[in-house]
Amino acid sequence: MAIIGNPKYEERVKEHLAKYETTRSAVMPLLYIAQEEYGWVNAEGISEVAQILNLDPTQVKSIAGFYTMYSEKPKGKYWLHVCTDLPCALNGADDFYAWLKEELGVADGETSADGMFTVEHVMCLAACDQAPMLQCNFRYIENLDQDKMRALLAKWRQEAAQSANGTG
Amino acid sequence: MHILLRGRDIANIKAFDVYEAHDGFTGLKKALAMQPAEVIDIVKASGLRGRGGAGFPTGVKWSFIPQHEPVKFVTVNADESETGTFKDREIMEENPYQLIEGSLICAYAIQAKAVYIYLRGEFWDIGDQLDACIDALREKAYVGSNIMDSGYDCEVYTHLGAGAYICGEESALLNSLEGYLGQPRVRPPFPAQKGGGLYKEATVVNNVETLANVPFIMTEGADAFKAIGTAQSSGNKVYCVSGHVKRPGNYELPMGTSFRELLYEHAGGPLHEDRPFKAMLPSGGSGPIVPLTDEVLDTPMSYEDAESIGTIIGSASIIIMDETVDMTWVASKVTKFFKHESCGKCTPCREGTYWLDKVIDRILDGRGSPDDVKRIADVAENMAGTTLCALGDFAANPIIHTIRHFPEDFAQHVQA
Amino acid sequence: MADTVKINIDGTEYEVAAGSNLVDAAKWHAGNDIPVFCYHPKMEPVGMCRMCLVELGTPARDRATGDVMLNEDGSPQIRYFPKLQTACTTVVSDGMHVKTSTQQVIDARNDVLEFLLTSHPLDCPICDKGGECPLQNLTMRHGPQASRMYFEDKQLLAKHYPLGDLVFLDQERCIQCARCVRFQDEIVGDDVLAFHERGRRLQIITNSDPGFDTYFSGNTTDICPVGALTTADFRFGARPWELTDVPSISPWDAAGENISLSMRIDRDFGGKAQIKRVMPRQNEAVNEIWISDKTRFGHHFTRSDDRLQMPQIGSGGALRDSSWEAALSAMAEALRAAGSDIAAIAGSGMSNEDLWELRRLVEGLGGSRLGAWPPTHGGADAVAQYGIGLGSNLGQLGRGDAILVIATDLEEEVPIWRLRLKEAQDRGAYLVVANSRHSRMEDFALQGARNDKVVEGDAIRYGAGEAVAVMRDLMTRHRAIAERLAEAENLVIVAGAEGLTLSGSKALAQAAANFLIESDHMGRRNNGLLSPLPGPNGMGLHYLGFTPEASADIMADPPRALIVAQAELLDDDPTARDWLEKVETVIYANFFDDGISECADFVLPIQSFAERDGSFVNGERRVQRFYLAQGPVGQSLPAWKLFGSIRQSLGMSHLKPSAAAVMLELSRSIDAFENVSYKALAQVKRQFPDVGGRDLYYGGAAYNNTGGLGMQIASRADKNRRLKPRRLPEYADVSAGDDDLLIVPVTRLYNRQRNFRPSLLMEARVPAPYAIIHDEDAALLGIGPGDLIKIQAGEATVRARATLGGDIAKGIVALPRHIADEAIPLTPTPGKISRVAEAVAAGD
Ligand SMILES: Cc1cc2nc3c(=O)[nH]c(=O)nc-3n(C[C@H](O)[C@H](O)[C@H](O)COP(=O)(O)O)c2cc1C
Ligand code: SF4
Ligand code: FES
Repeated sequence: MAIIGNPKYEERVKEHLAKYETTRSAVMPLLYIAQEEYGWVNAEGISEVAQILNLDPTQVKSIAGFYTMYSEKPKGKYWLHVCTDLPCALNGADDFYAWLKEELGVADGETSADGMFTVEHVMCLAACDQAPMLQCNFRYIENLDQDKMRALLAKWRQEAAQSANGTG
Repeated sequence: MHILLRGRDIANIKAFDVYEAHDGFTGLKKALAMQPAEVIDIVKASGLRGRGGAGFPTGVKWSFIPQHEPVKFVTVNADESETGTFKDREIMEENPYQLIEGSLICAYAIQAKAVYIYLRGEFWDIGDQLDACIDALREKAYVGSNIMDSGYDCEVYTHLGAGAYICGEESALLNSLEGYLGQPRVRPPFPAQKGGGLYKEATVVNNVETLANVPFIMTEGADAFKAIGTAQSSGNKVYCVSGHVKRPGNYELPMGTSFRELLYEHAGGPLHEDRPFKAMLPSGGSGPIVPLTDEVLDTPMSYEDAESIGTIIGSASIIIMDETVDMTWVASKVTKFFKHESCGKCTPCREGTYWLDKVIDRILDGRGSPDDVKRIADVAENMAGTTLCALGDFAANPIIHTIRHFPEDFAQHVQA
Repeated sequence: MADTVKINIDGTEYEVAAGSNLVDAAKWHAGNDIPVFCYHPKMEPVGMCRMCLVELGTPARDRATGDVMLNEDGSPQIRYFPKLQTACTTVVSDGMHVKTSTQQVIDARNDVLEFLLTSHPLDCPICDKGGECPLQNLTMRHGPQASRMYFEDKQLLAKHYPLGDLVFLDQERCIQCARCVRFQDEIVGDDVLAFHERGRRLQIITNSDPGFDTYFSGNTTDICPVGALTTADFRFGARPWELTDVPSISPWDAAGENISLSMRIDRDFGGKAQIKRVMPRQNEAVNEIWISDKTRFGHHFTRSDDRLQMPQIGSGGALRDSSWEAALSAMAEALRAAGSDIAAIAGSGMSNEDLWELRRLVEGLGGSRLGAWPPTHGGADAVAQYGIGLGSNLGQLGRGDAILVIATDLEEEVPIWRLRLKEAQDRGAYLVVANSRHSRMEDFALQGARNDKVVEGDAIRYGAGEAVAVMRDLMTRHRAIAERLAEAENLVIVAGAEGLTLSGSKALAQAAANFLIESDHMGRRNNGLLSPLPGPNGMGLHYLGFTPEASADIMADPPRALIVAQAELLDDDPTARDWLEKVETVIYANFFDDGISECADFVLPIQSFAERDGSFVNGERRVQRFYLAQGPVGQSLPAWKLFGSIRQSLGMSHLKPSAAAVMLELSRSIDAFENVSYKALAQVKRQFPDVGGRDLYYGGAAYNNTGGLGMQIASRADKNRRLKPRRLPEYADVSAGDDDLLIVPVTRLYNRQRNFRPSLLMEARVPAPYAIIHDEDAALLGIGPGDLIKIQAGEATVRARATLGGDIAKGIVALPRHIADEAIPLTPTPGKISRVAEAVAAGD
């Protein structure tokens, strides 16, 4: 696994480098690529991004640490970011999130035992009229309730099982 | 009539052909036929004010850009992270070409080399959609070199943030776009000045909604826009209503519409008939909270009138709370937001948000004392006005104003 | 624009330099200490700690006319900002009004301090900065009486987080001022520190490999306004109030960094005063407030157990301890026997006073050969003639100026010059680096932009032995670059000796001088020549008549008696054993025995720079004083006293009572030292920025300069502005034959020289023996990267690992001095290399 020399990313890296006036500007898009490749922003990812951009790895690490959407720890296959900010909380998000954590048997920020789900509460996601809501791997899922959520969890588990069978 | 949320009137206006068929790019073409300075004059005359929060006159901002500078930029603030705000998202999801057209008009008016649309990281899908739009426009010669045979060149790019509210603050946004920590910069120099903008070049930073208004102004004229709204707040505004109302959502209404009309006629009144409204945060977490009295309800929603009731219109993210809501809990929620989002650069904000959160938790836990309430009010006062960017003030607001308006909500936790 | 503006601070008007920073101006002119944490006058303001808030107003202007609006009494109306403003981000402007003592300002300071203290631990009693901590001081002055924060709510964080081997971070104490981050980024140019996370979780990190390990890292511990950063060398070593600061001069290189030795009487050192730490001492013209890590951490040799303790007498390898009395009379006898066939070789660590007494001794006996050691750099004479002009300050070079650095690796040879010249480039100077291989300085020259600022520079690469020709023919060979250099307002050329023979480096210096003369950059302030002569007193050697040519002559034709003073002949010169054998009487005075005892007749302990008074002349011809700080090791004597005593034993004259008295005599005899006296050298004046005070205003405990700013010696060009270019002297141009490579000795800052080895902290930073070879040369010889190779050049045989790269000219092998145990040739020598063993896996 690598970013450098990986044909999957070659084009995208080039595009990002082309769109800014300085190479440093591409650090954020490249960190997303690192996260995509390794599942989280690990040491290899940091050092590869640093190498591509000719930056000191400290600078790349610093950027990865500042922004919450980069994970510096391994996470589950599905990242569930549940908004519990004020507007969502006024419409039941806190209860919904409490239920979800119990359902998955995890605490805030933890990954479920099967490595499938990492849950985290997040600040407002600009979906306040659709509460409760969450982002799964940064894609919006809105107007949730327990039934809908159970169905989704089941669906994701099934998807994961299928893809595991498919490759193994 | 919708100027901004036209996706609601015209099916699939997010498709290029549909947008073009509905007056799309008329404004841009008109602008390209004018001198850049004329475009700025029209926007000035329209009275358009920034929709990102501060309400700064847009045309005036553009006119600050030094014409003789060879390189200039436009950055579109699509970071939309204020608690309770979700208007820019709808504009970009449903009417993306209008934003790009508005940005290009701005770019032409200041003769910018490129437009960067800075999206909050969670707007991943919107970014993809905008990229597709930009590609389509490049093919049609609306973006790139020699736009519409005018001899004017301009590129448009998107950039995804990665989870940081502070990057909505314009100078932090520029730092972030340059690959640095999203921390605000010392001003002056301001973004519009050489040395203060993107890559140190003079730069206009405008909110999505602000720019989405511009095609209308160019097409219909400044007067048409000025005819809408109030004397000092012209045009329509998208109000994001959330919380305890029947129909939360975005409502595009002329500025000057009363809170009452918005909350009762459009948003359907209280979520539960038997639980009247108690309070409103009219500008997300950052503006002063107000009790929803009749006087407040009858106040027109404009920059000038909001001031008269001791609050602001800001980003117009209107969060409604009914009588069941404990304001101590609200203060805690909002404080946790700012603690999470403080960039850490300034001492009062970094330490203050951390400290306030600890003490409010203590109060909510029943371990607090009446002194603690005084203390947090005092600490919040100490934060206000001492920081590099307004986040320090924003973080002070919820504490100061919840305690001011709802002292009993705090008192119940500390007397037992 | 006017040079000064008038500003009003708390009701009094001051005339201050236009463009100055409000904090600095208030301190300098009004003695008004606006409290700061993040602001530091050496770095760009960031306005983040918010400690310096003041009320700020400017004259109100009529919008239409732009005229200042007046009050009824005719005074200008002042419009105050509605909010308090940070003074540190404010540049003074005419008519500006500042209020620093209103209730609003006092409250704001109080509040910011209270905020800082909510997260700061109460461990002042055990903190290395306790007693010299700006946070502690400001808390006393502006702080809240009691914390309103609950103690149990404080964060607990790592207290001993190593950023590298040299600097530790206490995360609890850090107040997030970013001074350390900015120092590395802006001043050093190695952005290896940064913030991680955000908000209250913001922490200083490094993610570089190796960790925080730059040549200047220790400076961060001085500018850290709290005790968050401490050095591995000093932490927990002493309490600041137990320390006495003694002014001194770095004993390492031509920069002559002004330092303070923080001394304490120590049980571990026999109850004598010992160096607990080395700190920078402010001298804006020399090192500002920075020192290299070598200067800071390399002091352990001054009290190493391996130091020579007693005089020893012997012959043929059997030495026995002796008393000074016996040794002196035996020496007198031996010297008498030798007659006038006596010579001396002195190392560049000898003080002027030492050299004077040594010279008098040799000359008194009828000898005339005075050798400067090591005989590798021929530039001293040229510096005396064409050196950088009187009153120069590298800190003043900037836009419109130019710098050429040729045949030296400045980062390794004189790190402070590299730091200051890189800063000159940051300020707009055009930097050209010429050499036959890559160097860090070359990276800066070619960087293009730093910190969003365009920086201008070029690099020239030349082949083996081409340096002189490149310099001489710069106008024809590199026309565009040469023209830019020639047209610059001010031009400084740093000409070294890398890749050159002794005569070659002389020729290079003359060629550089000619370029300076022809382009009218001579005899003026901030113009002229610099040379990275080895050691702290290369110029002193020159002025006192010690020359590298004499050393070469002594080596070729050894005298009957030779005095070797603070020169490690065997470590430096692979031929030394051979030619020393021909000397009848060898008198060796030094700190350590480099093996010479086998052929020496007298081995005598002398004192290091820390143990006595003395003076050095730095590469900018500045005579600078150092003071007695540490108790002596064993029975060691100051070298001047030793030589004076020998003279006394020979009945030549009485021993001088003090180093000052030696200087007095010296200054009367040597023109260059005219007017130099210890008193004159000790003169100080207030320096801008005002960082040196006891108030610790900007932090940095020992910046205060009480020891003197030194005196610059005029160059020939300073006295005569109409110097003409000269023909280049004949020079030996070594090149390798067809079958050979040219083995070029190069300098590494961290090496295994005797006086550096005892600083064990630095041991891990000394690289394993290596040699840099061009890819193609290596390929021809079947050498791969990391292979163990044998290098044979002249008398030397050295083993080292091969480092391959195209970053060196073909035909050259760069071989660092003093890294391997074996001596390597003093100057470039043709040689052969061969592979001994294949590379082994990392680690070796
Ligand atoms: C802490 C903070 C957060 C902000 N967040 C946003 C934001 O998410 N979107 C936005 O458009 N403006 C935001 N702003 C306002 C911007 O700094 C800036 O004023 C605005 O983008 C200017 O555009 P406008 O003139 O079109 O309103 C924020 C300001 C602050 C101080
Ligand atoms: S470690 Fe010291 S210098 Fe660095 S940010 Fe913290 S307080 Fe400032
Ligand atoms: S903000 Fe001015 S000194 Fe820190």
